[in-house]
Amino acid sequence: MNSRLVRFLVGAWLPILLIWLWWTLSADSTNPYWPPLEQIWQRFLELWVFEQVPIHVLPSLRNLFIGLAIGVSAGILIGAHIGLSNLAARFIIPVVDFIRSIPSIALIPIFIVFFGLEGEMRIAVIAFATCFPVLLATNQGVRSTDPTLLDTVRALRFSPFQILWKVRLPAAGPQVFSGIQLSVLIGFIVMIGSEILGAGFGIGAFAKITADSFLIVDAWTSTILMGLLGYVIYLIFRAVERFVLRWYYAANKLEM
Amino acid sequence: MSVIKRFPPALISMTVILLLWQWASGLESMGSMLPSATTTLSTLWTSLQQAATWQSIGITLLQGAIGLVLGVFIAVPVGLLLGLSRFGYYSTQFTLNFLRVIPPIVLIPILLLILGPTSQMAVFIVAWPVFFIMAMQTAYGVRDTDPVLLETMRCYRLGVARQIFHARIPSAAPFMALGLRICVVVAVLGSTVAGLIGGAPGLGQDLYYAESLGLTAETFAIVMLLGIIGMVISRLVEWAQPRIVFWTAGSRA
Repeated sequence: MNSRLVRFLVGAWLPILLIWLWWTLSADSTNPYWPPLEQIWQRFLELWVFEQVPIHVLPSLRNLFIGLAIGVSAGILIGAHIGLSNLAARFIIPVVDFIRSIPSIALIPIFIVFFGLEGEMRIAVIAFATCFPVLLATNQGVRSTDPTLLDTVRALRFSPFQILWKVRLPAAGPQVFSGIQLSVLIGFIVMIGSEILGAGFGIGAFAKITADSFLIVDAWTSTILMGLLGYVIYLIFRAVERFVLRWYYAANKLEM
Repeated sequence: MSVIKRFPPALISMTVILLLWQWASGLESMGSMLPSATTTLSTLWTSLQQAATWQSIGITLLQGAIGLVLGVFIAVPVGLLLGLSRFGYYSTQFTLNFLRVIPPIVLIPILLLILGPTSQMAVFIVAWPVFFIMAMQTAYGVRDTDPVLLETMRCYRLGVARQIFHARIPSAAPFMALGLRICVVVAVLGSTVAGLIGGAPGLGQDLYYAESLGLTAETFAIVMLLGIIGMVISRLVEWAQPRIVFWTAGSRA
């Protein structure tokens, strides 16, 4: 057997065992809160492959994507400029520190006050909440560029603009991505939270409404769907990170 | 520059923001959406003089603390065992990582059915991510023990128990400390989220009521209060960490 197969088998036996246990132990369950997994699975196929996906999943993912795109770009731009100026950092970082200390979910009520319950509020709150981890990580990363490298490119008469975009930001890449990873997680949490509080459409809203109306099997399917979505979004993030930072992984001979 | 030397920049930027806020709240287009900075601060001040506010703060922190302790106490032995066994470590990596990257907020609708809007629900919401973070950090740290140190201990015929308590656990401690630092923040967050989204008691629930009743000054005041609590807690953790795992001060974690 080759090593990839062994690695797959070692990683796979536990989740398979857990799902099998859940399936058999819940098979004859009459407890209304713990319906048989088989029933949940059938309902899952009915709902999410793919009848309800355009109504409840795609708008959520669209909001998350737009919000993240705005938040991450703003975070990188602001963070890079703060990273270049000690004066700006001394004024802005304390404020950022304070805003970041607020649990991101708690920002939702404030955004509801301004934007109401619909799509714009969800995008705005995702963009706002995801901006700060990237901003701080970029600030840190841009500051810690190797001084020898900076002296070299200055001697080569790179313009400050070139230094920022071709030297400082790429060198900060790994740190920026650790900020983005946190942002993606926060974005997903805020997305679900804004749907549960905002009601209407969206996967979080579907879960809340079905749970409130005691459609327990439906609520279970949406819980599983949200879990899978969370993991898929994490995998997509990893793939993007590895693509953008391929030079870093190659240079450090890290396992891809 | 002389102004900057006399006053801390943080104070100046806070003042500027408060002045801007005060000015913006007076604008016609804002209507009654944005309470003024002075109204919000005085609301915050009066609410801090009420016992109910402190009770909410206490419940929020207590739920977080119980969930944190529960999660850590289950996770550390599990992580230790997984770190000692190569097979155990690699078998659980995928499962633990899968469950770790799923935020516990997705469980709230189902937990509301099973546990209701209670403190138990909040404790569960806190303990869930704490368990996965701490189990993975502990297992990783235990595996990271210097192999030369372990070989040396074996040569001196020091038993497995000694190896665990004098080499493995001290080596895992900085990783566990880093995990714990993340978990403290996660705990306050989880306790608030459980209140705001799931209706568990505490500041999250207060925030939900303030928002749904349209009490904008109260809404802003509670959000500010949450920010202050978050800041105090992260400063405390930053202060405490090097004093608890003192033998690794200034190193990687």
